[in-house]
Amino acid sequence: MYTKLVMAAGALGVAGLMAVGGPQSASAETDYIAKYGIKADAPGMCSFSSIDAKDYSGHELTILTHAVPVMGEPAALHSKQFEELTGGKVNVVHAPFGELYQKVMIPFQTGQHVYDIVYGGSYWIGDWAPHLAPVPQKYLDLPEMKDVTPAYQGVASWNGQRLQYTVDGDRNYFKYIRPPFEDAGNQAKFKAEYGRDLEVPTTWEEYAEVATFFNGWDWDGDGELEYGSTEIVQRDNIAFSNFITRVASYAKNPNVTGGFWFDLDTMTPQVNNPGFVKGLEMWMAALKYMPPGGINFGIGEEIFSWGGGQSLMSVTWDDAFIQAMQEDSPIRNKILVGTKYGPSMGSKKVWNRVANTWDEFETPSVAPYVAWGWGAGVSKYSKEQEMAFDWFCFFSNYANTNHDLLIGRFGVNPFRTSHMDPAYWEKEAGWNTDVAVSYTNMLKGMATNTNRVFDLRVPGVNQYYTAMMASVSKAMAGEMSAQAALDEVAAEWIRITERIGVDVVREAYKNVVALEDNVSLSAVK
Amino acid sequence: MRGARVNLYSGLKYGALIIWAVFVVAPFLWALSTSFKSDNGVTGGATYIPFLEYEPTLDGWAALFRDTSSGGISMQGPYLASLIVSLVSSGIALALGTLAAYGLSRFTFRAGPLSNSDITFFFISQRIMPPAILAIPYFLLLQFTGLLDTHIGLILVYVAMLLPIVVWVMVDFFNTVPTELDEAAMIDGCNPIQAFYRIILPNCGPGLVVAGLLCIIFSWSEFFFALTLSFAKVQMLPPTIVILNSNKVPWWSLSASALASVVPLVIVAFFLERYLSRGNLAGTIRE
Amino acid sequence: MIDSRYKHIFLFPALLVLVAIIIFPLIYTVRLSFSGWDINRPGLDSVGWSNYARAFVDGGFWNSMGTLYQMVFFCVLFEYTLGFGLALLLWKQVKAGRFFRLLFIIPMCVTPVVMAVVWKTIFHETLGPLNDILSWFGISGVPWLSEATPAFISIILVDVWQWTSLMFILLLAGLMSLPKEPYEAAQIDGAGPIRTFVHVTFPLMAPITIGALVIRLIESSKLMETIYAMTSAGPGSATETTSYLLYIRSLREFQIGYTASLSIIYLVIMIIALALFAKLLSRALIGRSEART
Repeated sequence: MYTKLVMAAGALGVAGLMAVGGPQSASAETDYIAKYGIKADAPGMCSFSSIDAKDYSGHELTILTHAVPVMGEPAALHSKQFEELTGGKVNVVHAPFGELYQKVMIPFQTGQHVYDIVYGGSYWIGDWAPHLAPVPQKYLDLPEMKDVTPAYQGVASWNGQRLQYTVDGDRNYFKYIRPPFEDAGNQAKFKAEYGRDLEVPTTWEEYAEVATFFNGWDWDGDGELEYGSTEIVQRDNIAFSNFITRVASYAKNPNVTGGFWFDLDTMTPQVNNPGFVKGLEMWMAALKYMPPGGINFGIGEEIFSWGGGQSLMSVTWDDAFIQAMQEDSPIRNKILVGTKYGPSMGSKKVWNRVANTWDEFETPSVAPYVAWGWGAGVSKYSKEQEMAFDWFCFFSNYANTNHDLLIGRFGVNPFRTSHMDPAYWEKEAGWNTDVAVSYTNMLKGMATNTNRVFDLRVPGVNQYYTAMMASVSKAMAGEMSAQAALDEVAAEWIRITERIGVDVVREAYKNVVALEDNVSLSAVK
Repeated sequence: MRGARVNLYSGLKYGALIIWAVFVVAPFLWALSTSFKSDNGVTGGATYIPFLEYEPTLDGWAALFRDTSSGGISMQGPYLASLIVSLVSSGIALALGTLAAYGLSRFTFRAGPLSNSDITFFFISQRIMPPAILAIPYFLLLQFTGLLDTHIGLILVYVAMLLPIVVWVMVDFFNTVPTELDEAAMIDGCNPIQAFYRIILPNCGPGLVVAGLLCIIFSWSEFFFALTLSFAKVQMLPPTIVILNSNKVPWWSLSASALASVVPLVIVAFFLERYLSRGNLAGTIRE
Repeated sequence: MIDSRYKHIFLFPALLVLVAIIIFPLIYTVRLSFSGWDINRPGLDSVGWSNYARAFVDGGFWNSMGTLYQMVFFCVLFEYTLGFGLALLLWKQVKAGRFFRLLFIIPMCVTPVVMAVVWKTIFHETLGPLNDILSWFGISGVPWLSEATPAFISIILVDVWQWTSLMFILLLAGLMSLPKEPYEAAQIDGAGPIRTFVHVTFPLMAPITIGALVIRLIESSKLMETIYAMTSAGPGSATETTSYLLYIRSLREFQIGYTASLSIIYLVIMIIALALFAKLLSRALIGRSEART
């Protein structure tokens, strides 16, 4: 009988679900904890012992995933474990992010079956949908799956079916280094210069002031210059997410429904409305308080830069934060996340695209960005679907996820309600209480916020985003004004929509509107 | 006076050569130094001298052989694949191309207004095509013949890519070999094919070597098709290295793998230089 | 004359391979250019000339051609000049001449895209050695990859680093095969080094110059891997060449039919341009009577 009901995730409320106690028939006394470095093997269909009991010898899986380390390393690691446990063969193929899309789509479109499992940006679901096998009910009934937050369950679904197996959840949020804000000398100087107290910013305007103040001098005494903000601007990297983060608060209005990217009725792009323009203008001005070469920063540079203490603030992914909380980081436990109004910067003025005017808010309106995160699914052309789903089951079981969450470079970030318990981060990761509480409050805030922004998850999303970033990066490089750039984008988006088919895009966009407006798909007109 | 001028000229000459030599070698030295660094040798700013400015480690080099499941690169497979594909495709291209070059050099072809030099130009002009144009058609062609994601398929593509180079080098090479040899052989009763194999080919050593070495260089370094025409079973070396350029670039293993991948090419360069210095390329570039 | 019944055996194997592997895909590309193969409409349908119509007003495409021409011009100019200079320096007996020759040939033999990735670390603005070394001379923080002109220059620099050696080796081989008589005559005439170069060396090297330039032009027009590794066509679209654009449009955005039409237009322009250039250069350097096609 199991004597340890220790939650793989620390002291969690999930204890009740664990009491079921799945199949224990594994090769008896294998100590998975010692052998695989996990904290505890939570019982259930996906546990180490359950998977060990399965025999896939003679079967082979081919998985396409991202390069090492982000997602690539955990995929390779757990594949190796899976091979050892089941005797099957797992062939892991890596590709750089820029190549993932076509490596997946070309075989799909030409009927060439190559991969059983594909990884990619979850926002490609519009393009992948016709080719993925829906997740069977028995996996949806797993406690691990039910524990996934509603937002991420929604992100993995399309037209009512769960097509992606949730292995990751991402978000963009505000994070900052704390001590400089609390330094009396800084506070005095700031007050003298800006006429108000030095506080953690809550709007992009305040963010700009604080970042400018802290830009270009050595405020942590390490002999190197520091800067105000690190962001992801490099075109063809994932700068589009940073762009969304920047414009969301100005353009996502809590009182307006029916589409953030497009007006659902007319399918007119909204990408050049004054909200978007204002956001882009603020971003263009932000280059001044980024580190040198900031315009060329991809996510790798951002992780090293903010995670290494080079900049005061950032409003991007988890990776930099987890990196900053690693053992050898100079700013470990000296950071916090979120503002008092929400996970990221807000705005007191939000564009109302229906009333054609700026709505004013007493307290800053925040529009957090539920970023795409890694999406993965089983190809419906796969001949090893059972093995594939079992692989997923194993990859994202409690033991493995809780192990992966703590390793910054793995790119596995919180997506379950059980991940929002500060106790887990304190105990397992050794975070200070205030950091753990700050982080989990931000996670909870994202889960409950109703003014969230999602990616443009429609077929052809790459064309839309590439067009968007081609023009946006020109504006960032100073080649054109924000309005001109976004007008260019809107014009191109109209052409793209025509090429793909207005009705096709509209039907797909309804899925996104359902997420944006917090309603079920059937409620979207 | 004249002595001084000569010395000045000499000095400038060697100075220029040394400057260029430094420029040539610099990236390799930088990669070598960086391959022994770890995090703090990189994130603090540029460092150059091991032990003095940073603590060297073997991490970068060890990663070459580690499996991806522990964050490594697992370079052995792609290395071998690149080696085999390069050698095989070079060999085939050399064989076919030399035959064609001999034919173009010795015989007259006529197809309407087009003649030998036009056909030669046709071969050479295939190099104008950017690989990006051919990616989709090649994908479909290989899929149709069932050769997609196989080494053979890639070899086929490489042969087409290398033929122009072989033809270019060998046509002019043959043009410098006097036809008396052929005629002598044929008087002895050989047909042209026998003449080719027995008499001409053994004299072609230098040309073949130059063409062959150039083929190896180009096929080993080929990136685009290796990237776009491989899916699961084929893993070639250049994409494996460039993949590291993705997120969170690990400078040390990147540098180590870059150096490891170019070492064979440096050896090739050595041999190439020996053959070229015998003045063998002279004839090849006179149109 | 050699028995011409056998000529086909020699030529045909290679020709066959080439036709199968290049001509058929080319014809297929032409067919593709008349289809609207897209992310949502895979397969060969027919949309007439609309792809070409769209191509003619595609600002991004023509910009990339302009960028390409500028880059190729500077790259080939520098590579030719430097290559010639180095060849001249190493032509006559030089101490350690073989050592220099071997060293100088290495860059063209190493994998371009891999070296580009190494160069990217060198150009890194805060962590790379280039800006570090420049700062010893008082030049600070050059935005190598984050501003248009420096990025442009950085690509050219990497290309020059790599391919000057090709020009060097071609021109050196040419120099070494030059006849001695004109030089003896020039010496008798009392011509100095510069006059000898201008009136003897350069004209004699004309065929080699043309060959080398044409070869290098053809190869550098495909400039894409360096950009892929270093700038991703950025910042903005400052370093976007046509090859790179074609790659993005076809494989990232999946506009396969449209990109096929861009490819055909590109090919036609390139072939005409190169043929014209070769002819003009021939006329200029060799003279009408001696110009061979």
